[in-house]
Amino acid sequence: MIESILRVFPEILVGLLGMAVLVCSPFAKKERNDLAYLSIGGMGLILLATLIWGPQREGIAFDRMVIIDSYTSFFRILFCLTAIIVMLMSIDYVKYFPSRQGEFYSLLIFATMGMMLLPASGNFLTLFLSLELLSISSYILAAFMRNHPKSVEAGLKYLIVGGLSTGTLLYGISFIYGLTGSTDFQTVTEWIVARGRIEPVLLVACFLILVGLFFKIASFPFHVWIPDVYEGAPTPVTAFLSVGSKGAGFAVLVRVLMNVMTPLKHEWVFLIALFAAATLLFGNLAAIPQTNIKRLLGYSSIGQAGYLLVGLAAGNHLGTSAILFYLLAYLFSNLAAFLVIVVFFRTTQSDEIDDYAGLSRRSPLLASALTLGLLSLAGVPPLAGFFGKFILLGAAVREGLLWLVYIGALCIVISLYYYLMVIKQMYMGEIKDPRPLTIAPSARWTLYACMIGIILIGIYPSPFLNMAMAASKILF
Amino acid sequence: MTELPLLTIILLAPLFGAVMIFTLPEERKDAIRWIAAGTTFVALILSLFLLFQFDRTAAGFQFIEKLDWVPALGIAWHLGIDGISTAMVLLTSFIIFTGVFVSFSIQKRVKEFFILLLLLVTGVYGVFMSLDLFFFYFFYELAVIPMFLLIGVWGSTNREYATMKLTLYLTFGAVIALVPILTVYAMSYKELGHYTFDMLQLAQVHFSDRAQIMLFLPLLIGFGTLVPMWPFHSWSPGGHAAAPSAVSMLHAGVLMKLGAYGIIRIMYLFPVGARYWMPLVAVLCMMNILYGGYVAMSRRDLKFMVGYSSSSHMGYVLLGLASLNIIGFNGAVLLMFAHGVMTGLAFALIGFLYDQTHTRLLPEWAGEYGYDSANAHDHSQKKYPELSGLAKQLPFVGFFFIATAMASSGLPGFANFVSEFMIIIGTFRAYPIQTMLAIFGVVITAVYYLRAIRAAFFGEIHPKWKTLRDPTTWIERLPFVTLLLVLMIVGFYPSILVNLIHSGSASILERMQGGGGTVTASLAAWTAGWLR
Repeated sequence: MIESILRVFPEILVGLLGMAVLVCSPFAKKERNDLAYLSIGGMGLILLATLIWGPQREGIAFDRMVIIDSYTSFFRILFCLTAIIVMLMSIDYVKYFPSRQGEFYSLLIFATMGMMLLPASGNFLTLFLSLELLSISSYILAAFMRNHPKSVEAGLKYLIVGGLSTGTLLYGISFIYGLTGSTDFQTVTEWIVARGRIEPVLLVACFLILVGLFFKIASFPFHVWIPDVYEGAPTPVTAFLSVGSKGAGFAVLVRVLMNVMTPLKHEWVFLIALFAAATLLFGNLAAIPQTNIKRLLGYSSIGQAGYLLVGLAAGNHLGTSAILFYLLAYLFSNLAAFLVIVVFFRTTQSDEIDDYAGLSRRSPLLASALTLGLLSLAGVPPLAGFFGKFILLGAAVREGLLWLVYIGALCIVISLYYYLMVIKQMYMGEIKDPRPLTIAPSARWTLYACMIGIILIGIYPSPFLNMAMAASKILF
Repeated sequence: MTELPLLTIILLAPLFGAVMIFTLPEERKDAIRWIAAGTTFVALILSLFLLFQFDRTAAGFQFIEKLDWVPALGIAWHLGIDGISTAMVLLTSFIIFTGVFVSFSIQKRVKEFFILLLLLVTGVYGVFMSLDLFFFYFFYELAVIPMFLLIGVWGSTNREYATMKLTLYLTFGAVIALVPILTVYAMSYKELGHYTFDMLQLAQVHFSDRAQIMLFLPLLIGFGTLVPMWPFHSWSPGGHAAAPSAVSMLHAGVLMKLGAYGIIRIMYLFPVGARYWMPLVAVLCMMNILYGGYVAMSRRDLKFMVGYSSSSHMGYVLLGLASLNIIGFNGAVLLMFAHGVMTGLAFALIGFLYDQTHTRLLPEWAGEYGYDSANAHDHSQKKYPELSGLAKQLPFVGFFFIATAMASSGLPGFANFVSEFMIIIGTFRAYPIQTMLAIFGVVITAVYYLRAIRAAFFGEIHPKWKTLRDPTTWIERLPFVTLLLVLMIVGFYPSILVNLIHSGSASILERMQGGGGTVTASLAAWTAGWLR
């Protein structure tokens, strides 16, 4: 028992930090950003502790309810990083709701705890609980600007769609339990193998579970909530959803597909490939007419999910490692873009792409950070996203999914078009609004860090790839 | 001497320059310009060193450098050059070095301009030197985005449309080529026992005929888009016209050669695929030569004219490659070099004119007989009159433009003559009809160049052009003189390059067993004698 508790110490610490923030919030000086520093410092220490002691404490905890292995460790680091960057991004943003800072940060922290537990789940119950912890915190966060109709709308839509997906997921799990009498991953797998033949009911159950998870990662046709939620939610929350929530969705999807559903691989590979193709085409084509940059990034994040699904459809070690690697690249690229949006919004109160005209002369730093972020998302060398897409597609080619790779390759051209439209505005547009843009020091340094991350991962991907490969080795 | 990683130094010199410029403030324009000039000069000197140090008697790749980059995937920093890439590296060095001097006149956002220009050229060097397919693709894509910004921000005519079209086309070509590259990578495991992007190792693999044929087509379309091979050419003239001078020079001079170079490399990897598909290229390139030339005749904008003329000349390169014959092949590579220098010179001259006149329009053609001097007075009504009678005012520019036109239409004494001659000789046996049509294409080239010269440089001069200034300082003259000298040196002494190219192309054609058999051998012997 003690051993089990020690194994999940980072998650426990994150939970305690969330409560601490909540308790401290009445006493904290809001204008001094006390709460932000407490949350960021706390998460930083937890990240450090996880890096140092995490790998020594790998193993099974609580009767296989929680599996702590190298795969879990990778995502712990990834999600702690996401949370820290999103909090840094929020320092400026929480000024819009000064009295509720404590709730904001603690909800972010609780959602992070859910994300960290998701890839660690070894049982459908843990999966469900951590998913709900993440989802419910996210619903509130999306509706956090409660005086803005759009934000409330975002929260409500997210809640309804999220509830639907949870229902689907639970329905699938109940089938599994009815068939096998267990919710434990390993028992279920053993049951499927022992059965020898594939029950149609089992396929239905798996399909329902996949659909539930597809809502989370916003695969076509379960993406409908994305644009409105991304546009309406407070920008740091949008960033958090697009990187963290999506990453967590993929983390658990990989775990479920590679762990529980391995015996059914022949059945799901084609299904995932179809979803990947549809998601790629839809996300990238629908992004073209967007005029609001948050909606644009919303659709682009659907397209990115399509690329990650390509890696999943490949289903081999390289594909899984590529997903992990790409999530890391995606973290820096997308957060850099959202950070620029937050800073830009503070001065201009606008998210319209047209208002970005001439940004390169108003603020070269913001323009170059957004350019790097978008180009990395598009997959242009020498940036992180390029190598990520390269190996995702490479993994699919190894499995002979050439048609899917061709679609993915063509979508690179489509995505480049709408990303370049933004860059064109920034570099070639005429300045309409000459007010100087103020960048807080915290935002400035975070931007530098993201840019370095994007370039470093792109130019010298080897250590990061090795990390991803080592993390996903355990699944094969 | 071989201890020094020469290729890496050439490759990274411009990148180093870009980083140095990045640290300078925008106001120090002269320092920025001279850093760019200095780093590209280093690259030029080292490329010339390569030219003389290259062992022409040995086939295959030299100056090889190898360093594991992503060992888990078999990606390595693997550089090396054969005769063909040496010529291309040298071409790049000449064009960028002169291009930097041409860009001295740019005043708007100087810092960003030179950073992007140097990044662009880093990508180009990288493609010519990479022996690893991953880096080959990496550098190729690297060159595209700086191009987008360079044309979009500093360009002229219809630049935003042109640059978007160009970028999307180039990326389209790249991703079409990406899939077969990844396929080859995936197949390497079965053949070699490990995954690799290494071209030298992949060349050892005997892919099945079917696989070669299937893989060659998408690669051909991908690289053909960049050449630009008809019907994927429409991005190119508009891009040339919109780009600032130095970028037009690099673009027409070097970037288009990346496509042809890519085709040469895939011919090396898939000899059977090449023999299967190159006859198709021999047909398509006729459209380049004739249709491109025909459109060039009808253009009034000088840059559009040279742009279409470039696509017409790239048709000759494709024809030479399609001949699968050592003479034609050598001619094609030499034409890549010659055309690069010639077109660089042409765009530098047009850019020089445009900086002062703000127009590149030739007068309206009066029927087939050119400029109608009776209507000359109408021009004074317009804000920018058309170009006419400039030679009197600008003898230097006039002289160089005429020399360029002579080179372009293949007059003896210039490198273009030698290369076009070799292509025609080499191709005749394989494709007699195409060759005859190609010879006709030379006449078309002469037609539009001579008409342009007559209209722009001779006849009555418009009063407004009386204030134009010829290049006077050595900085202004240097690019023109250098490029013309290169054209003439190679024109009078072609074996300085032909021997070099031969050492590379011989090993490629050797792999096409039966590509011409004894005929090839005898013609090779014949051409060797002719060159001596």
